Amino acid sequence: MWLTAVYYDGRQARPHPVTLCVEGEKLLLQGRDIVRREALASLKIPPPLGSTPRLILFADGARCEVADRQGFAEMLQDAGSSAVAGMENSWWYALAALLLTLSLLVVAYLFGLPYAARAAADQVPVYLLERMDTQFFASLDQTLLKPSTLSAKRRQTIQDGWQRLALPPGEDRSANIEFRASPALGANAFALPGGSVLLLDDLVSLASNDQEILAVLAHEMGHVHEKHALRQMLQASVIGLAMAWYIGDVSSLLAVAPTVLLETRYSRDFERRADAFAAELLRANGIPVSRLADILEKLEAAHQTAVAKQPVESVEAMDYLSSHPNTEERIKRLRGL
Amino acid sequence: MAEHQSRQLQFSGSGGEYFRIWIVNVCLSIVTLGVYSAWAKVKRNQYFYRHTTLAGAGFDYHGDPKAILKGRIVAFLLFAFYTLVGEFDRVAGLAILLVIVSVMPWLLMRSLRFRMHNTSYRGLRFAFHGSTGAAYFNFLLLPVLSALTLGALWPLAQQRMARYTRENSTYGNEFFKFFAGSGAYYRIYLMTIFIGVLVFAGLMASVMLLGSKELIPVEAEQLVAMSVLVAAIGTYLALFLLAYPYVAARLQNLVWNSTQLGPHGFQAQLQAREMLGIMLGNVLLTLLTLGLYKPFADIRLARYRIERVALLPRGSIDEFVAGLQTNTSAAGEEMAEMFDFDIAL
Ligand SMILES: [Zn+2]
Repeated sequence: MWLTAVYYDGRQARPHPVTLCVEGEKLLLQGRDIVRREALASLKIPPPLGSTPRLILFADGARCEVADRQGFAEMLQDAGSSAVAGMENSWWYALAALLLTLSLLVVAYLFGLPYAARAAADQVPVYLLERMDTQFFASLDQTLLKPSTLSAKRRQTIQDGWQRLALPPGEDRSANIEFRASPALGANAFALPGGSVLLLDDLVSLASNDQEILAVLAHEMGHVHEKHALRQMLQASVIGLAMAWYIGDVSSLLAVAPTVLLETRYSRDFERRADAFAAELLRANGIPVSRLADILEKLEAAHQTAVAKQPVESVEAMDYLSSHPNTEERIKRLRGL
Repeated sequence: MAEHQSRQLQFSGSGGEYFRIWIVNVCLSIVTLGVYSAWAKVKRNQYFYRHTTLAGAGFDYHGDPKAILKGRIVAFLLFAFYTLVGEFDRVAGLAILLVIVSVMPWLLMRSLRFRMHNTSYRGLRFAFHGSTGAAYFNFLLLPVLSALTLGALWPLAQQRMARYTRENSTYGNEFFKFFAGSGAYYRIYLMTIFIGVLVFAGLMASVMLLGSKELIPVEAEQLVAMSVLVAAIGTYLALFLLAYPYVAARLQNLVWNSTQLGPHGFQAQLQAREMLGIMLGNVLLTLLTLGLYKPFADIRLARYRIERVALLPRGSIDEFVAGLQTNTSAAGEEMAEMFDFDIAL
């Protein structure tokens, strides 16, 4: 069996039309002014790749290009062919690869990423975390956040009440409270990665009594205790990295980091654990757990009036409820405790 | 020497075929925790190179996956380190970035060497011979200077970079020549700015007109501010959408039309309008299909960019002979890609 091919000697760009045939363990190449007889074992035959020509690479840099892929495979008995090359040629394997890829991504997203983020969060030194909070305030003060308008006395009262709470065993420092006002964020509180709790004025004025404020602080401390914000942030940055890699733009990622912190929606699980932490802390200090449910109800009501009044603004502002989903379910569970 | 007929570059890759190769390789890369991605990259390049033909012969890619894997690991560690540290401590992140930036010219130079050395046509290799010193001048000093001058030197910097990459490249033992001056680069960017100014003025005038006839509900004293705002946003969007394809198409034309290989010339005829259509369509379809259109998008753009370039041979193109071979590492190329450096080649 003969096969036509184009031969390049590797020293000059001139193409040589040649014919190929296999004689035993040797490849015979014949052209108008060339004859080469090479042991098949000395040749490199790359696996087929789509509909690109098949190639024979000689040890001295010469090469042969064969357009007839069918004839090539028959003559050389599929030399160089690989399992992967076979898969790349089949729509069924492509479909299987697609499904496998999607399911692997889902598994990695649901289980691998939270696990890795948790492991990584435990490795971050405390001084770095505190510096993160400083940077967080440095970038959002004067823009999204305004100085608190609460009187110094009022703030001191809340601080004192918070400091007086007995902490659960194993917790040596209580979260540092930062008071701010923010018209855009409304009645809200956030746990920051470094362990500070951001308490907004509107939430303080919404509460009927200080125990409700303490309940919210206890809930946020639950987030701090389990490093939810940090874990969430690590997860978000891994996803952002992966997306940037895929789409091919890294710069867009760097600008959004601080605001992402406020936009993170905690998972149901994180909320449940923070509520459980708060319930335990409140109970140990003789405060009814229902205080947390009370303030949650008020926040939900306030949220709904805000939506009714200013639909546009409340979409922009991520408020307590959208960063703390499933409020009704949580209220029910807290009432049951 | 007789003038020969121009030879168009051809691209025979197809979206469906490439999709299968792509998804199988993506899947294998994930299963092997990224290790296979180096092999996937080699295959990707081989697919595009081998489907690109000139005068009946295809190009080929010879990169060693193991060298690429090494580069990828180094680049990945550096990049992960930079992002994570930058997340916690901006000063330390900046310091790392500074280190990365200061080795970038060297990496780019290595990357060019690797890429050129591993590209062949008709059995002869390309090669890159640029020096490290010139790489620092062209890839670091000039961009820094153009940043300091608020971009006024950027066209000049780009011309010098193109000249550096072209004039130090060889096919076989023949050097490429590059004869575009910086004036041509300035013309492209000035045109872009001019279009921006026109769009801005047009938008501002029409808002003022509509406002003064009370067709849009704006109070008189706010009209100027409002029209400036609308014009600024509109111009930003227009430039963002249009400028990239326009500049990309014009630059590719300029670079190819000013390049020679020995006695042979090149001709590129890309249209900014067509480029815009392809790029917009690609982005939209890729988003709509959650990324699955990406391989088709790559093929579409590659076909357009490749098939609009032709070789203008003066004499036979069979006469090239092999040059000296050099050894290279893949680290540079991977790092350059990771940090999104793009040099018009
Ligand atoms: Zn919460």
